[in-house]
Amino acid sequence: MSTPVIETVRLVKRFGDVRALDGLDLTVQPGEVHGFLGPNGAGKSTTMRVLLGLLRADAGHARLFGGDPWSDAVALHRRLAYVPGDVELWPTLTGGEAIDLFARLRGSLDRRRRDELCERFDLDPTKKARTYSKGNRQKVALVAALASDVELLLLDEPTAGLDPLMEVAFQDAIRDTTQRGVTVLLSSHLLGQVEALADRVSIVRAGQVVESGTLRDLRHMTRTTIDVETEQPSGALADHPAVHDLRREEGRTTFEVDGEHVGEVMRILAGLGIRTIVAHPPTLEQLLMRFYGDGAETRSTR
Amino acid sequence: MTVVASPTSGRVTRALAGTGTLLAFQARRDRVKLPVWVGGLGLFVAYVSAAVPQIAPQESDLETTAVLFRLPVGRMLTGPAYGLEAPTYERFFASGYGLYFGIIAALMNIMLVVRHTRLEEQTGRSELVRAGAVGRDAALTATLLLAAAANAVAAVVVSGAAIASGYPAAGAWLFGAGVGAGGLTFAGIAAVAAQISTSARAAAGLSGAVLAAAFVVRAGGDTPREGGTGLSWFSPLAWAQQTAPFVLDRWWPLAIPCAVAAALVALAYGLQARRDHGAGVLGERRGRAKAAGWLGTPLGLAFRLQRGNLLGWGAGLVLAGVVDGAFAQAMIDAGDSLPEAFRDVLGADAVLDGYLAFIALFVGYLAAAYGVSAVLLVRTEELRGRADTVLATPTSRQAWFGAHVVVAVFGVVLLLFLAGAAAGLAAAAVTGQPTLVGTMVAAHLNLVPGVLVVVALAVALAGVAPRLVAPVAWSAVGVVVFVGNFGSLLELPEALVALSPLSHLAQLPVESFALVPAVALLLLAAGGIAVGLWGVRRREINR
Repeated sequence: MSTPVIETVRLVKRFGDVRALDGLDLTVQPGEVHGFLGPNGAGKSTTMRVLLGLLRADAGHARLFGGDPWSDAVALHRRLAYVPGDVELWPTLTGGEAIDLFARLRGSLDRRRRDELCERFDLDPTKKARTYSKGNRQKVALVAALASDVELLLLDEPTAGLDPLMEVAFQDAIRDTTQRGVTVLLSSHLLGQVEALADRVSIVRAGQVVESGTLRDLRHMTRTTIDVETEQPSGALADHPAVHDLRREEGRTTFEVDGEHVGEVMRILAGLGIRTIVAHPPTLEQLLMRFYGDGAETRSTR
Repeated sequence: MTVVASPTSGRVTRALAGTGTLLAFQARRDRVKLPVWVGGLGLFVAYVSAAVPQIAPQESDLETTAVLFRLPVGRMLTGPAYGLEAPTYERFFASGYGLYFGIIAALMNIMLVVRHTRLEEQTGRSELVRAGAVGRDAALTATLLLAAAANAVAAVVVSGAAIASGYPAAGAWLFGAGVGAGGLTFAGIAAVAAQISTSARAAAGLSGAVLAAAFVVRAGGDTPREGGTGLSWFSPLAWAQQTAPFVLDRWWPLAIPCAVAAALVALAYGLQARRDHGAGVLGERRGRAKAAGWLGTPLGLAFRLQRGNLLGWGAGLVLAGVVDGAFAQAMIDAGDSLPEAFRDVLGADAVLDGYLAFIALFVGYLAAAYGVSAVLLVRTEELRGRADTVLATPTSRQAWFGAHVVVAVFGVVLLLFLAGAAAGLAAAAVTGQPTLVGTMVAAHLNLVPGVLVVVALAVALAGVAPRLVAPVAWSAVGVVVFVGNFGSLLELPEALVALSPLSHLAQLPVESFALVPAVALLLLAAGGIAVGLWGVRRREINR
């Protein structure tokens, strides 16, 4: 396997008494779009800022393109672009000036792509940053990042201020970018966005990655919802250890089954005579709820 | 349900809904700031009243010192010099220092008003507030009530401190009232400025420009004659001085600041009613869609961010230099008519040289203040998160930080050169001595090493202890100004005088250039900058 673009091992970052990162392991392979999921305060932005060499890890280590994000910052930054979640711009510079500035500092500006992106995101580059809304400031940072020739995009909740139309434009732009082989670390709590774009997902909770894999892996590990109508009573299912939340209503039975036992439960159901059956794969919401919901404490890897 | 008495009173009530809550909230936010400002004014009274008898144990000893304030250059820097032909401690206090009380009160009011009006709108915080059951005029009204209260307390504290110092009560109350009334005028000026501009910085800058203009107009009015001229009366800083506390003790001039403040407040309400929330009277202009060619490096960015600041300071210092230089002939005339003993007091054979050295020193203070504000911009960049986005590009911390330091150092040298050239040209024009141009440029550039030490202190702190930059560096500027202005007058201890880097340099053109202190200070400054660059390389950004 080639060198990961991003690799952190047991990364720890403390702010006073708070352990913002508490042994975070994250691996992002070249060319993948990696969804970085978790609620506010889970440690997503702190991870990004360590990867950018703005903060220094207290323990563990972080590698970016095989290099040290702290000491090799300048060389590494030639190969990446960053979009923060809350973009701050200089009030007296126009959006266009800010885009050009970022691109030139990075050393590459594809002017044609820049103008095309401005149009795509419906951004007026002649207005002073002072007059931009949050969404427009975000667009400035996105255009600057997407118009540069880089190998890695670090996106920290990049569409927090964008409307749904712009969200579509964003997703298209990311797909175009990844076709060129660009790796993306996409921190987000928009599940739809991650589902649409990400090849792999890491779920972060209280400074640790609690689960990592493709969406398919994660789904397999969690429960499938089954809605079934059987000829014989389904009483036997209720006692099965892999079956949860069983409800019965006028001959219909609805329950959740652990991913690894789906086949086994299906064999039982076949014996009962299936009239109709609907199976839902777990939604990302259910995945997340599993790590953040009521049972989350017991699931913690700590 | 609310019962409304009449449509008109209902409108007024609605526009003011929430004023009381906002006032309490603003007072809560300022519970440290305002007592520090007001307490500082009280301490200033106590200090001067204690220090003056140290240098003049008898009131009759005051005459030698008081003559400094009576000279044209003294009047230019302090005011109309009422009662100094027969000085008492209280007259010396009121005439010598009254102007500076006025300036401090003005700054307190400008910052207070801008902080609670335009800054709240600019940051969008007031949008949250206005979304509650809060009237259109509530924030402005609460702010002005807070300012009025602060000025009233300041007046009482200053008067009380003056009475406690043994000054006659009648004059002390008048002096305090003058400080408060002058403060109110500037609250009104800032309230109008906050309506005009969409940024808090520009609103404060506009108010500050009015304050600077008030100083210049008053200087132009007070310099020709004791008691001032008609021109003096056009300056908001002059009205309190024209009450002549402890001399004429006249209250009526205070009607002017009160009336002007009322008119300005009415204007501010009028402007506010005609504009949208968050907008200014001045609209936003469009800018360039593409960045200029030079805006693509850390240095280009630092220069672009400092450009407005530098232009403002440059214009102000050139104007001040022209005004100061234009008084050169008046100093020569005044020097000729002075007895030998008084010329010794000035520390120079030629009164002109002493004057020229003094105005260069004054520009030195301002250049130091500019330098510190330029370094503080780096801190702002960091706190607002803009440093993150720049440092996420292949820009090293040293390049990013160093660019701002380069602009600050370059700005200091440029400002000193411009002010020196302006003062020299004006002095040469009025006296017919062309060599004064070179003399004044040299006198100003001579201060570069001292000013850079102050800047380097800010740079070093920004690198190793970023939280301390603002308080420590501004205190350093305060020490430099205090030592320079009052060092010899109040016979400050030598250790304190030595704290000001400017005190180690030769005073051009009174003395001839001294190489050793200049080189030593330059090395010290270079060391401070090196510490800053070293520190910023190792520390975390915006932790």
